[in-house]
Amino acid sequence: MSSIEPDSVEHQNTPVVNAVDVGRTYTRGHGGGLLNRGADATVVTALDGVSAGVSRGELVGIAGPSGSGKSTLLHLFAALDTPTSGRVEIGGTNTAELSERARSKLRRDHIGIVFQRFHLLPALTAQQNVALPFIEWGIGKRDRRDRAELLLHRVGLGDRLTHRPAELSGGEQQRVAVARALAGEPDLLIADEPTGELDSEAGANVLDLLADVADDRAVIVASHDQAVLERVDRTIRLRDGHVVNDA
Amino acid sequence: MRRLLALWKLGVVQTLGRFRTAEARRLVMTLLGVALAVALMVSVTSVAVGLASGSTVQGDDVDYWIVPEGGSASTIAVSVEGPRLGAVHRTTAEISADDRVTYATPIQLQILRVSSGNSSEYLLAAGVIPPRDGQRVIGLPTDTLTPGDPHYANGSYDGPWTGDAVLSSAAAEVLGINTGDELNPSSTDRSFRAVDIADADISTGLGPVPVMLVHLSELQTITGTADGDQADQILVSTNDPSVEQKLTGLYPQTDVLTRSGVGGASLSTSSLPLAVAVAALLTAVSIGALFVATLTGLDVIANRATIAAQGAMGFSRRSQTILVLSQVVTIAGLGGIAGTLLGLGGLLGINRVSQAYVGVENVAQFHPLLLAYGPLVAILIGLLASPYPAWLARRTNIVEVLDQ
Repeated sequence: MSSIEPDSVEHQNTPVVNAVDVGRTYTRGHGGGLLNRGADATVVTALDGVSAGVSRGELVGIAGPSGSGKSTLLHLFAALDTPTSGRVEIGGTNTAELSERARSKLRRDHIGIVFQRFHLLPALTAQQNVALPFIEWGIGKRDRRDRAELLLHRVGLGDRLTHRPAELSGGEQQRVAVARALAGEPDLLIADEPTGELDSEAGANVLDLLADVADDRAVIVASHDQAVLERVDRTIRLRDGHVVNDA
Repeated sequence: MRRLLALWKLGVVQTLGRFRTAEARRLVMTLLGVALAVALMVSVTSVAVGLASGSTVQGDDVDYWIVPEGGSASTIAVSVEGPRLGAVHRTTAEISADDRVTYATPIQLQILRVSSGNSSEYLLAAGVIPPRDGQRVIGLPTDTLTPGDPHYANGSYDGPWTGDAVLSSAAAEVLGINTGDELNPSSTDRSFRAVDIADADISTGLGPVPVMLVHLSELQTITGTADGDQADQILVSTNDPSVEQKLTGLYPQTDVLTRSGVGGASLSTSSLPLAVAVAALLTAVSIGALFVATLTGLDVIANRATIAAQGAMGFSRRSQTILVLSQVVTIAGLGGIAGTLLGLGGLLGINRVSQAYVGVENVAQFHPLLLAYGPLVAILIGLLASPYPAWLARRTNIVEVLDQ
């Protein structure tokens, strides 16, 4: 468990991300053709009436069986998607009121994402991979390099700067991905099954890292892995699109 | 601007780096597609260059030729019966007097019906002033022709009639004659005698041409062009480029062309090489662009997860488009470089095959601009092909892809 030492009580109590009575439905199928358009379309409810918030300094898990709405909630928290009902606020901003471009900027400036399969660019070194987000911010080359080096030192990979992903272990690749997610000093770090591709030791190291960075930001981890859920401060459990437990 | 450059550079670095990864095979396929299209274009364009600039009638050492403006530079066929130069003996003597000039001769080209024995055929007759060192003209040796132009006799056209004629082996074959046989041009009592038969290396790309090389004044006499001392062009052999300046001022309304130059004049006087080059360009660009668009489109689909991840990280659609554009152009550019080298290999191959099977040398000709032409066209191919992969990248649904 990480030691949570927020700057102030008020700071701790203001959720970085907050879902209020959120619903998300998808329409599957578009009907057969021109004549029976829409006839076969079905509406699937992925989330229904979900309310949950995560504050700075918290390491929160999202758990639930496949189809429970776990990924959908994660996408809503990451501003990758918007709810069909209710609202998701990130730093007080309702994501549904933002254009796609504005949501992209919101993610760039305030959210870091760690993927199960790392999604590092195989042709680039660890340092270049971590420096990627800096390009989007228009930061100069030398500055990009220095900052990426600092971040890699921070995740314990200071000696792997010039290694390409293929030359790194799974755990090391995921730590590079965490360093990349931290590039923008995000208020919210979201990790989707971050240990899913790792052995237990590498997974534990990544969890240590996530717990460590949760000191000054909100960290949300979606996982099936019991070892992960035992490490978080609180777990939001979902079933059939509803929150069944948040503790 | 800095962000744009950084993104572009990232695309280039990423593309080059991918050649070291498992994706190298797909990239090489795309690159080869561009390379083949560009190679085809460069090879065909080199043939066009050959047609435009390598098909004049001089031997290897002739560096300049003076032709009437808008006239007869490009091919032998165009040269015949075109506008003519006058007082060519005097002018050529003036040119030859220059120390920088190693050799100069007027050339008159005329289609003649020539009989020998029972056969009668049309030949391309070329009237020249044979040089003293036996230099080849129209690819034929001149050492068996009497040096100078005795029949001209300072313009009186009453000097001795040599009747010397050097025939190309194609001409000898159609007439069925051997060295020493007599040749009778139609509509004249004058006759010639075959003093030599040799292989002509006229680079027209049209196959062997039956050619007969004779003294200029004798051809002028039998064709009625002695009045005004006319010829189609004057060939000047020199090692000194400053001669060109002098040649330019000799006649009004003439062009001075260099042997290897693809000048506007030579291109404008014959639309065939230009048409060949344009057809090659259009073919390469259209086939190349379709090929690159298809393969880079597949590449984008294969890399949807990466594109989605970058989108999730906050890379804007515009940035993603620039990345795709830079990657496509990089691959196409590399293909262009490879294709240009392949095309130059093709140029050598074309010449070797044409020499071996058709007996014509230098059908295709190298020009330094081809080195830039290939890669530039490849970049154009990349730019034309990029909207499709860019569109595919833009329509990548981040949530859908990340869910898979």
